[in-house]
Amino acid sequence: MKSLRFLFLLGMLFAAILARADITLRFTVWDGDESSNVLKKELAKFEAANPGVKVKFERSDFAQYFDKLLTQYAAGVAPDVVMMDPGNFQRFARRGALLELNKFYGDIPGFDIKGYYPSIVKAHSIKDSLYVLPRDIAPIAVVYYNKTLFQQEGIAFPSPDWTWDFTPHPEKGDKDFLTVLKKFQKLNAEGKPSRWGYVPGWNTLLVDLFFFSTGGRYVDDPEDPKVLKFDDPRLMKAYQFVSDLTLKDKVIPSSFDQAGTNARQMFTQGKVAMFHSGIWETPQLRKEISPVSEGGFEWDVAIAPAFAGGTRAYPTGGSGYGIMSSTKHPKEAWRLSEWMAGKQGMLAMAKAGIAQPAIRKYALMEPWIPGPNTPAEQQVPANRIITDQAEPFVVFPPTGILYNEAANLARQPEALVYTGDARADAVFPGSNKIGQNRLDVLRRELDLPPFNWTAAGILGILIAVVLGIWIYAPEFGKRRTSRQKRENLAGYLFIMPWLFGLTVFTAGPMILSLLMSFADWDIIQPARWRGFGNYTEAATVDPVFWKSLSVTLIYTLVSVPAGIVISLILALLLNMPIKGIPLWRTCYYIPAMASPIAGSLIWIKLFQPEGGLLNAVLLKIPGMLTLLGPLVGANGQVNWLQNEKTALPSLIIMSLFGAGGGMVILLASLQGVPTYYYEAATLDGANAWRKFKNVTIPMISPALFFSLITGFIGSFQVFTQAFQMTQGGPNNATMFFMLHLYNNAFRILRMGYASALAWVLFFVILIFTFIQLQGNKFVYYEGSDK
Amino acid sequence: MALRNTPRALDHAAAKKSAQNAALFGLLTRYSSFLLLIFGAVVFVIPFYVMLAIAFKSAKELGATEIWGWPKNPTFENFVYVWTNPNVSFWLFLKNTFVISTLGTLGVLFSSSVVAYGFARINFAGKDRLFLLLLSTMMLPGIVTMIPTFILYAKIGWVNSFLPMTVPAWFGGGAFNIFLLRQFYLGIPRELDEAAFLDGANYWTIFSRIILPLSGPALATVGIFAFIYNWKDLLGPLLYLNDPELQTNELGLSTYNSLQASQWHLVMAGSVIVMIPLVVLFFIGQKSFVKGIVMTGGK
Repeated sequence: MKSLRFLFLLGMLFAAILARADITLRFTVWDGDESSNVLKKELAKFEAANPGVKVKFERSDFAQYFDKLLTQYAAGVAPDVVMMDPGNFQRFARRGALLELNKFYGDIPGFDIKGYYPSIVKAHSIKDSLYVLPRDIAPIAVVYYNKTLFQQEGIAFPSPDWTWDFTPHPEKGDKDFLTVLKKFQKLNAEGKPSRWGYVPGWNTLLVDLFFFSTGGRYVDDPEDPKVLKFDDPRLMKAYQFVSDLTLKDKVIPSSFDQAGTNARQMFTQGKVAMFHSGIWETPQLRKEISPVSEGGFEWDVAIAPAFAGGTRAYPTGGSGYGIMSSTKHPKEAWRLSEWMAGKQGMLAMAKAGIAQPAIRKYALMEPWIPGPNTPAEQQVPANRIITDQAEPFVVFPPTGILYNEAANLARQPEALVYTGDARADAVFPGSNKIGQNRLDVLRRELDLPPFNWTAAGILGILIAVVLGIWIYAPEFGKRRTSRQKRENLAGYLFIMPWLFGLTVFTAGPMILSLLMSFADWDIIQPARWRGFGNYTEAATVDPVFWKSLSVTLIYTLVSVPAGIVISLILALLLNMPIKGIPLWRTCYYIPAMASPIAGSLIWIKLFQPEGGLLNAVLLKIPGMLTLLGPLVGANGQVNWLQNEKTALPSLIIMSLFGAGGGMVILLASLQGVPTYYYEAATLDGANAWRKFKNVTIPMISPALFFSLITGFIGSFQVFTQAFQMTQGGPNNATMFFMLHLYNNAFRILRMGYASALAWVLFFVILIFTFIQLQGNKFVYYEGSDK
Repeated sequence: MALRNTPRALDHAAAKKSAQNAALFGLLTRYSSFLLLIFGAVVFVIPFYVMLAIAFKSAKELGATEIWGWPKNPTFENFVYVWTNPNVSFWLFLKNTFVISTLGTLGVLFSSSVVAYGFARINFAGKDRLFLLLLSTMMLPGIVTMIPTFILYAKIGWVNSFLPMTVPAWFGGGAFNIFLLRQFYLGIPRELDEAAFLDGANYWTIFSRIILPLSGPALATVGIFAFIYNWKDLLGPLLYLNDPELQTNELGLSTYNSLQASQWHLVMAGSVIVMIPLVVLFFIGQKSFVKGIVMTGGK
């Protein structure tokens, strides 16, 4: 019996050792619902094939994926294997956060990097070092076309050798892009198009196609850009051409014509004969297009046209897996990467129709290329071989770390060109210069001394001491009675939770960010000392600093008072004895309860120019069109979010829908007004207005005061709307201070500079709060002892 | 005090006339405010209507019709899909979010009500400047403290747990909430405290027996705000939670709005699901705005 127990214990011990021997790898991606499912199944297969290795699947949205990764890396808790793409891997690789993969090649028998498409390997390499093992390549050369519509109109299907040019070539017949477009165009009685031949997935895609295939590129060296070329005549011509095709010739639906839908939906609705994008649209199209028998249509894919001059070039996407240098298990991480970005992973993704394998061999066989074993529902599109044919002509976006920031500045006026408010050659030379200046400034390698942590630590303690002295300065030399001493103690006991939380959770990070504002810190590498350099850069060099400050100031000064007035009106209305009051209050508070993700999507559609609800209602009001005259674009609509004059007001309007929050506070305050004050006022013969002015307002002034101060503090830091809806455009009209700060912190990894910006904002808000606190004497506190 | 400016008694005839005018005026304002109320409610509900209209459309109909038209064939298929998708389990997300929101809200209610009482009613050394310090913690953008804070939590092993979203709430509960409650406490007449003092009550008794019971509406406001804030929070869960089993509502919704495929109908159906508990909570909770009627200074 005893020996049995001993054996049992031994067994337990053994099992524990075995369990500990298990290695757990963390694997993270930004894939959506559908491809995540495919990946999870593959991970399970990997675990089965590699006993002792467990994989934890993690995902986050692309919008925040890299922020999270950087934060985790800084704290030493980054995942092992991470999804990367050509546009983003450099900022990790160049700073040593990703492992070079070449040294692992020999670990897996039969592994051959030459089997991968060379273009995607090069796009994920710096010089000859590979940092990301490619899993897919997605040339954006896929033209989905409506076969049924082509047949109805008697137009030949797009052939592999069709071409585009700036002028139509009717002699080429259906092999000429513009001729086909013209044939499909259908105008209604008012001359407005109701059907189009072609729609690009997004406007810039068509610009890229035209620009690249006429030989243009955005920068001199995509790996390490030094010169921006947004003033290239070919680019300006391409922009203008796209604008003219949509607004003048009306052969391509403008963003205005995409009435409340998007390019893909216009295609699935049969309003457009061709839809240009990447192969990743396939799963969604399979779901949305019904078979002919149910009123749908037949469809397939063709390769996008070449330039009549004979050259061919396509923008492209692609992604793969990298290994973070912080991993403890590089060998296993490599095995996992190779599994997911090798035969198994690629074929699984190909089967789902999501991604073309990055290994050419698999891109040429089933299931990517439909064959006899392919299920019926996966047979369309049949012509998937074009992704392979397009590969030699792909152009990857520039990958230099600073490119995004500079290009963002240079690209600012594009929205004005698309709406017809400006000509490309009038605006791009100027914006290119701004972007180039910024690039030059950022490129100037600063030879900075390392950050002195001892000095910084002393400085941090010094700041805390000075703050403490300031707080208690008025108390020095005061004598307290024993009762006052007791009161003092009681006060500190009551605020103890906050004091503790402040010291432990808040103070450290705040002081650290202040110290970082004197540093050059990219999150990945150690900080370097920069003195007041960040602050002087903000005030004198940064082209967006003052603009973003004024945008934020205007937004705050308009939206906060307007919001409080609306909140007050709502609170007064909803404080009346009306039936169903809980229901009414809920109605007004509903916008504040909606999920932020859904909220932004809905608002984009409400502001949509053509078919958008706001325009649909507003422009129906007689005289409104004349009133809004100066704001109406070339399309006869108000392009709320795309117009420099209306973008900020649009976001202000949107913010007013949050008035429900203020309403709740004021309602609670109104409930605290004793009714006998009103009774007394009535007895004194006061009318409604006098009661409002002399009873209501003073009694709720503490809540109004609160709304004003917190409203300002919150509004100065507004970020989400612009981040999700406008990205600061058009022409920086909605470049909020926080958005600029965010871009610096996470997009170009200038956390030191971002910290300086944050502290500038801190003091701006502090000044405004000080001014408002002077108004405290107008606030009536019933329980005040003053 | 507030009544200092009210006019004194008027003569009889003028009073009668003004009473008639007032009645008419009252009727007019009543009707016009009612109309205003309806109009405003319609406007405020539009975004929610759009959300519903999309949520009830099939993927095919969404592609084929105006986005705000009510679906011709309303369908529950999106709700069923979102609810039953085994890879994105909304049941689990709701549960996680509920745990975080409840713990966070309780923490906020406890600590902000206590701290606010200290700032509103007790004189202690450095109070005014400490209060300014409290306000100033709201003024520094969170983006720059995000990484140091994350490092702090990673060092004490809190990453990949609910602790970073719930524990700090028990230590202060946020400057916003403390400030809000302080403003309300300041509106409660001091005579009440002083009378209790004379009866021998201590600070804690006054706080728990007099101030708290009189602050129903304010506490309800803070509670609702805190709950909704936690419920809708994306950044906290995004940074601190890695395991799929720990994910929350907003993270779940974001899987349907990925780079490759933005599936609007599913995003909206999911949004409606996660919104229902909030609407119910608000509907019930707002009654306490009325119930907590403060007969301030029942002298």
